[in-house]
Amino acid sequence: MQVFLQTLIGGITFGAVYALVAMGFSIVYRTMGLVNFAHGSVVMIGAYAASTFYMASRVPFAVAIVVAIVVTGLIGLIIERFLRPLENKDFTLMLIGTIGFGAVLEALAILIWGATGRAVPNPVATEPLDLGGVRIPTYSLLVIGVAALATGMLAWFLRRTKLGAAMQAVAMDHEAATACGIHVGRSNAMAFGIGACLAAVAGSLIGPMLYVNPTMGGTLGIKGFAAAMLGGFGSMPGAIVGGLAFGLLDAFAAGNFQGYSDLVTFVVFALAVMIRPTGIFGETTVNRA
Amino acid sequence: MRLTIVAVVLAALTACSAPGETSGSAGEATGPIKIANINAQSGQLSSLGKWENKGVKLAVDEANKAGGVNGRQIQLDLFDDQGDPTVGTNLARKISSEGYVAMLGTAESAVTLAMAPILKTAKIPNITSGQSPKLADLKSPFLFLNAPTSVTFDETLAKYLVDEKAYKKIALISNNGAYGSGEHDAFIKSLKSRNLTPVADEVVTPEQKDFNSNLAKIRQQNPEVLFIGAEEVQSGLIAKQARELGVKAIFAGGAPMGTDVYATTAGLANAEGSVVSSPYLSNEASPAGKEFATKYKAAYGEDAELHGAKAYDGASILIEALKKTGGKGGQELADAIRGVKRDGLLGQYNYDDFGVGIHETKIGLIKQGKAFPATAS
Repeated sequence: MQVFLQTLIGGITFGAVYALVAMGFSIVYRTMGLVNFAHGSVVMIGAYAASTFYMASRVPFAVAIVVAIVVTGLIGLIIERFLRPLENKDFTLMLIGTIGFGAVLEALAILIWGATGRAVPNPVATEPLDLGGVRIPTYSLLVIGVAALATGMLAWFLRRTKLGAAMQAVAMDHEAATACGIHVGRSNAMAFGIGACLAAVAGSLIGPMLYVNPTMGGTLGIKGFAAAMLGGFGSMPGAIVGGLAFGLLDAFAAGNFQGYSDLVTFVVFALAVMIRPTGIFGETTVNRA
Repeated sequence: MRLTIVAVVLAALTACSAPGETSGSAGEATGPIKIANINAQSGQLSSLGKWENKGVKLAVDEANKAGGVNGRQIQLDLFDDQGDPTVGTNLARKISSEGYVAMLGTAESAVTLAMAPILKTAKIPNITSGQSPKLADLKSPFLFLNAPTSVTFDETLAKYLVDEKAYKKIALISNNGAYGSGEHDAFIKSLKSRNLTPVADEVVTPEQKDFNSNLAKIRQQNPEVLFIGAEEVQSGLIAKQARELGVKAIFAGGAPMGTDVYATTAGLANAEGSVVSSPYLSNEASPAGKEFATKYKAAYGEDAELHGAKAYDGASILIEALKKTGGKGGQELADAIRGVKRDGLLGQYNYDDFGVGIHETKIGLIKQGKAFPATAS
């Protein structure tokens, strides 16, 4: 029982981060029908930006996260601006463009911060909570809390604001949205920007849990992408459920299948997607490709 | 007018590409001696590759400044294998066709293993930084290790933990990559020879980040010692999460745990007291190490560590052998390397038929993120 609950804690903590990464993938996909393969690298840049400000200038961790959000948000806007001429013209080139941007960001990180990476000290250095032998690191609670907050703010933005509603409209039917006077390009830029901001939150949070290095985006990107697929690509609740499910799947596979855990995780994932290709909350309408 | 510009540009281009290509093949006995350094410069394992290259470069620059090999300069060329065995084999073919007399690297056992047959056929001696026992098992006359194999690391560790400290409850956690599985097998073998079975034996994947499940199982056994068989970062993550879960065991492991990366990833408090088995504990452990560290710092503005040190040793051995052969490669150079007896940074080099030069490691304890010899305490 103790092992079960402890596995649950680990799974939920990492699941929360995967959910944030998955939401970043999904918001771009639902608006533009595009998979942003640079997303993992943007997460990495977010982790670097936050850790640089947190460690070098000794600002509070929350401020460092905000700075990281601004930095990566700008990167998201730049990527979108480069891809805009291709929108609705050449979809394959856009996909390759995002892969290219991923490689560029990785190379930039090596240029700026070097190849060796860095460990980020824990911003809440207190003893883990002990609940009947199950230990919950305080940082895990912070991660889950911030992820929930970011999710809530995004839901509020998409549902309750005019800009958010415009984005929803573009996601549903971009031609009709254009006819209503919605600027599709601006909406796309917003999607990329928000996606990058989510990446920054994910990156900042994962930094102290892992080791920040230029290639960290690879695994995070793959797992976040898989989480988004599992939940239903393009769906926001799907990204959250998918992220948590993937985190838990990963955690329990590690305990029960040892060295074969990756294999088991992705076989289960493949089966789930085969049985339900649209994912848990799949919306078939967002497919514009 | 335009034609002349094109002509000038073309002429300039050919002039640029010429020197590196022609000097090696044209003048074998008079031009520079070409040595290849193959190591990951990009990707996940690039930090190792960069350290290795710095160590190698330091040794070669020193030799060149002191007049080279019998008046000939050494030309050191760096190739990026991306930590990928396939890229490695392509590079092995490339250097054998371009007249390189020797190869230094790689830091990855898997890449070196893949390259070994090609280099053996081409008679290009290779001094590697890999330490998998599989490298020694090849018994290639052209493959040399600049460090002990995992067997030596873990036998020394078991001797200290079991024979000296009399610990009985030992748990293992290791990854199933080339390095981790080598460590796992070697340490289990050492335990078995002492009639001990580990109380837990958890295997993780090299990419795994969340060890809650594995560590919770280990915690139930309440071990005295937790052996970690993984690379620097993963060892650090395991140590950090183990302490968060309340695992009280002493951490023990190979060279990765003697590094700064391990200590900072785990957090200094969590890494405190870790037992590490390594041929090169710290820059301060010997006078030669101190001197090396000073030179390294002057050249690169950062602190030296194990990988730079062993690459420096490997390159120094090669240069010494080259001086004996007068710059000639092939079988003659391989025999000369085998003949080198060097008092290096990692210890006394004395190559056997398996290509292993160092046969012992030292035990260190981590204090404030730095490894100190265990006997000094």
